[in-house]
Amino acid sequence: MKIRNMVAGIAVLAVTATACSGKSTEGGDGTGADGVKTGPGVSADKITLGALTDLTGVYATLGKSITQAQQLYFDELNAAGGVCGRDVEILVRDHGYDVQKAVTAYTEVQPKVAGLPQVIGSPVMAAIAANVATDKLLTIPAAWPSALLKAPYVQIVGSTYEIEMINGIDFLLKEKGIKSGDKIGHVYFEGEYGESALAGSKYAAEKAGLKIVEQRIKPTDTDMTSQVSALKAEGVKAILISAGPRQSASLAGVAAAGGFMVPILSNNPGYSPQLLETAAKPALEANFHLITAAYPNDSKEPGMTSLVSAYEKKHPGEPLDGGVTFGYISALVFGEALKKACDAKDLTREGIYKAHQSQSAFDSKGLMPPLDFSKQGDVGTRVSLIQKPDAKVKGGLTAEAGPFTADAAAAYTFE
Amino acid sequence: MSKARYLPLLLLLLPPFYLDLFWLQAGLFVMAAAIGAIGLNLLTGSTGQLSMGHSFFLAVGAYGYVYFAGDETDDLTGLGLPPLLAVVCAVALAGLAGLAFSPIAGRLSGVYLGIASLALIFLGQHVLFNVHDVTGGYNGRAVPPMEAFGFAFDGTGDVVVLGIAFGALEKLWFLGLLLLGLAALFALGVLKGRPGRAMNLIRDQQTAAGVLGIPVARTRAAVFTLSSMYAGLGGVLLALTFQRAVPDYFGMLLALDYLAMIVIGGLGSVSGAVIGATFVTLLPQLLTRYSDALPLVAPTGTGGVSPSDAARYLYGAAVVGIVLFLPAGLRGLRIPSLTPRKESTP
Repeated sequence: MKIRNMVAGIAVLAVTATACSGKSTEGGDGTGADGVKTGPGVSADKITLGALTDLTGVYATLGKSITQAQQLYFDELNAAGGVCGRDVEILVRDHGYDVQKAVTAYTEVQPKVAGLPQVIGSPVMAAIAANVATDKLLTIPAAWPSALLKAPYVQIVGSTYEIEMINGIDFLLKEKGIKSGDKIGHVYFEGEYGESALAGSKYAAEKAGLKIVEQRIKPTDTDMTSQVSALKAEGVKAILISAGPRQSASLAGVAAAGGFMVPILSNNPGYSPQLLETAAKPALEANFHLITAAYPNDSKEPGMTSLVSAYEKKHPGEPLDGGVTFGYISALVFGEALKKACDAKDLTREGIYKAHQSQSAFDSKGLMPPLDFSKQGDVGTRVSLIQKPDAKVKGGLTAEAGPFTADAAAAYTFE
Repeated sequence: MSKARYLPLLLLLLPPFYLDLFWLQAGLFVMAAAIGAIGLNLLTGSTGQLSMGHSFFLAVGAYGYVYFAGDETDDLTGLGLPPLLAVVCAVALAGLAGLAFSPIAGRLSGVYLGIASLALIFLGQHVLFNVHDVTGGYNGRAVPPMEAFGFAFDGTGDVVVLGIAFGALEKLWFLGLLLLGLAALFALGVLKGRPGRAMNLIRDQQTAAGVLGIPVARTRAAVFTLSSMYAGLGGVLLALTFQRAVPDYFGMLLALDYLAMIVIGGLGSVSGAVIGATFVTLLPQLLTRYSDALPLVAPTGTGGVSPSDAARYLYGAAVVGIVLFLPAGLRGLRIPSLTPRKESTP
């Protein structure tokens, strides 16, 4: 009898109490007092954006640089009056490169934000891509595989790994004396990053009559000795690498120690200025080249000099790297989209995405070549720059060639 | 009256009506982890067999479901079975995988099995990354939503219950509760009956068990198979909650997490596994979510102890504290009204 009473009591409580549950009143799109349409993440005086970053995992250094640079941009933006009279703030969530944590963080952050200017990790991006599409969140991943070009609402800022490799091979042909019939090695990470890059190098090699010697590695492999000896035995004339900074350093160091002096070209995630403090420094300075879509930190472009001085002022003693430049540009892209959306009086998620897509010649004030965001499914730019390590300059990289676009890169079509 | 103390469990039906998606998702992760942990606790806690390969069987369950229920596309294969059947097949597949390993599981004991089963993780990772057609490679593959008797457990259909719109997570919550309930009841039955006594004796006195006529190797093999089926079911629920199965996730750290769950919760019991799963799964998420509010923590990106670091330190400290001061696990923390003292059998 007692049990039955309790069950009945709980049931009654449940039914009556759901009436006052906060969930039953769905918050949706509305119109603010200033006539601007607003969606989730936008209130009368604040615009909230989300960042799913890695501050404790394998890409912690990159995550820190990007987060600090984005914070720097939004601080500047707010100091200049914000967007539509609203301050922009970022909700940072660290996932430590753990997909489960990232998915949970996404679920938590999603209802509170108007967009995601930073998502680190291609498995993370893949896990949330379907939800990003249904939630209509403009998202900028810190990864450049071509698979993301197809994902709606996801914007790659820069070019993809394929384009970098195609331009890189063009550089080898024109500047490093590689000619038809030569063999070149390609050391790449398994997974999306490496496969994307390999697709590019194979395409360019076929066009130029080169032969690619493949060496697939795992992110946990940090000693490149066996790869170097395999490539040496094949007699390759140059080595492409699509891996992390540690693999680049090992590859360059081991090759130089064995007297195997061939040019090494790396995709943009394969370098960090800290490498110049290791024993691999002379080998890197002699043979290593980085292919990227961003100008180096020692560039004299006005946008870059002001970014470098502002960043050094705010974070004295912290290393300048590609993450700082990329973080600032991606925040800039987002900020401009917000401003355009404000002009159109539509700060809903849909409105922000539409405003973003209206930008066909985005000017990053000399941080990157002009970017075109109007063509969904295509890259923002096919331009690459070749840079080489230099311990004497800020950011540890100095320009060597470019900006340029190889004919093969311009003709490349993404499947 | 004795049954009345289970009534608070009815409160578990309420969260979908009140809590937001973050909590529901966290709860579902807990349920999935609890199912897997119950299985591991049967093996490690009750039978004394250490397994490091639990995440492999979770992966078999998750990818088994995705493969059986998924549709054939350009670069992915799938059988397109009805999801309910796919769940059964996935659990059976995990069981088969466990059975295939059971000749080893039956012969080795304790830490030796732990080392042998470690190989499963590396094997599993290699296969998962390379069988593109089934797993989608490094980037994983979308998980088809659960569907049973014409009712889809996803965001479609505009289901409204008592004025609350039910999306995928709300619906899955009830499915998760049902699965966890069944899994817990079955494990309780196993532990209370003859198999449970046999398992405990094998753990405590292997020779005595053999002398008494308990087939030691066969029992070990059977428990290993059962435990992998539990992992398979946990993997299915995990995949349904994630909506995407990513190979990277089913690695070594996950296996260690499961071991942490049963040690923290309390070895050898169902409730211990559930408590441990709740603790290990929920605490890091809560700490990360509310880390901004912790004292002495600098906001992200300003240097100093960042919220995410603080969350890690606290989690580590909590684990050390429990192992030091609660040797029987969190389950040893008795709340008198909920856990009446049991007569201990000599």
